[in-house]
Amino acid sequence: MPSHRILCVDPDEDAREDTVEQLRTELTEFDPVFETAATLDDAKAVVSTDLAAVVTEYDLADGTGLELVTAVRDTAPDAGCILYTDAAPDAIGTDELRGTITEYVGKGSVFGTERLARLLQTTVEGKAQASYPLPQNERERLAALQSYDLDDRALLDSLDRITDLAATHFSVDRASINIISEHSQDFLACYGGANEWDTMDRQDSICTFTIVEDDDVLAVEDVTEDPRFESRSDTLLDMGIRAYLGANLVTRSGLVIGPLCVYDDEPRSFSAADEAYLRDLAAVAMDVIELHARLDDGVETDGGDL
Amino acid sequence: MSDETDGGYEFGNGVPIEPIEAGSTVLVAGPALSRAEDLVRSMVADGTETGDGMLFVSTNQSCEKLLDSCRRLQPSFDTDRAGVIDCTGQDLAESQFDLRVRSISTQSDLTGIGMRFSALYESLYADAVDGRVRTGLVSLSSLSMYVDMRALFRFVQTLSGRIDSADGLGLFSIDPTTHDTKTVNTISQVADGRIEVREPESSDADGEVRVRGLRDQPDGWQPFTLP
Repeated sequence: MPSHRILCVDPDEDAREDTVEQLRTELTEFDPVFETAATLDDAKAVVSTDLAAVVTEYDLADGTGLELVTAVRDTAPDAGCILYTDAAPDAIGTDELRGTITEYVGKGSVFGTERLARLLQTTVEGKAQASYPLPQNERERLAALQSYDLDDRALLDSLDRITDLAATHFSVDRASINIISEHSQDFLACYGGANEWDTMDRQDSICTFTIVEDDDVLAVEDVTEDPRFESRSDTLLDMGIRAYLGANLVTRSGLVIGPLCVYDDEPRSFSAADEAYLRDLAAVAMDVIELHARLDDGVETDGGDL
Repeated sequence: MSDETDGGYEFGNGVPIEPIEAGSTVLVAGPALSRAEDLVRSMVADGTETGDGMLFVSTNQSCEKLLDSCRRLQPSFDTDRAGVIDCTGQDLAESQFDLRVRSISTQSDLTGIGMRFSALYESLYADAVDGRVRTGLVSLSSLSMYVDMRALFRFVQTLSGRIDSADGLGLFSIDPTTHDTKTVNTISQVADGRIEVREPESSDADGEVRVRGLRDQPDGWQPFTLP
């Protein structure tokens, strides 16, 4: 697994360096990579999608820690945010930030940085501030995903044909095979209008809910009526997604790398037969990926014998 | 009560639930008439017996009413080990100023609730025996009327993360009859298990519980009684 990028923000240089040093000592096995900043602007400049967590003072020279938390939510929505501050909770105005969740640890805590360190580790490892559920075997799932060479042109052509079959069967204009990475959803193979879509944040994808379904299929009759997606339905409707059916691609080890999906621009229900058909097609797609992987292994082995 | 607790959180004799492992968050799901909310208050107030910290996030009972409920459910209820985040929007009574009480003007302010929860949790953690703190959130159904499901999910997951990191116990009540099944199932994914609550079949009991997803618990529906 990659190391974890932690951003520590404090206007007081001594306090900032002390926090980093203490956390480094407490988290030796966690493999953190620390970056520091003294101001809101400097901190915002280094926030990117792969940031694991930010630990920030509340009072910054050019703004507040909560402004930074809001900025982090926009750019790195899965990152953990912890206010580590001298300011008391009652002194921090939160009325305008109702959906912005952050952890709070007072610098005066009798447990010092020990509790901060444990909280930071739990928050990052469990993605405790993400707005979507994680599969129980997320770490193994990501490792399985990384083990496949998913850039092979011949493989992608085969997968494209499977999305063509799915779109034709369901009479829809859009179908795709998506993979769910640590922070994003990427489109591996697409049919029709889905070719225009770009990588999206994992929290905005329907498929991140599909991969935690017990029976490996998720049907959404109308995204505007589903509590999981209604707050994001404007974006989905702009993409032409009103109804959705997804079936997971499951490895031989039982790990889900992503789903095969069809999308309709009108509300629509899906039958048990529909679900069974898409599940079968998803299994074929997974077989194709695994056969390509074995083929690649065989070529490498043969090459080694030459 | 079991003799072999292995550090789990224990409950009173009327509640047929074996000790729950430290670090767990459990959804307590029952309709309004099932006494699911009282069950949560009782299971948290039982922490008095073991010197645990007891932290309530209360959306539908003011601090005053909540403490009255706790004293009824647990006669030796120790307010010195208790903390309350009163989300009812009512002004605090003067008698409560000495307690660990924080008020929030609106339930939509999840940021404020979350930060006060964190601060009170640390304070109770410091004073509790072995840092053990029980959290009761009553109720998620009430919060869900003010925020969208994804914001609520993030909030619950964050609370659950803190409880996990501190080896605490979280009991969050929800009325499944007021929600889409998808909402309950999604929120359930944050929890380690679920306690289902229903009205009793016999008049001798206050209700019945069935435990799902937690280890070493009784099978099937079990009657419970509350003081």
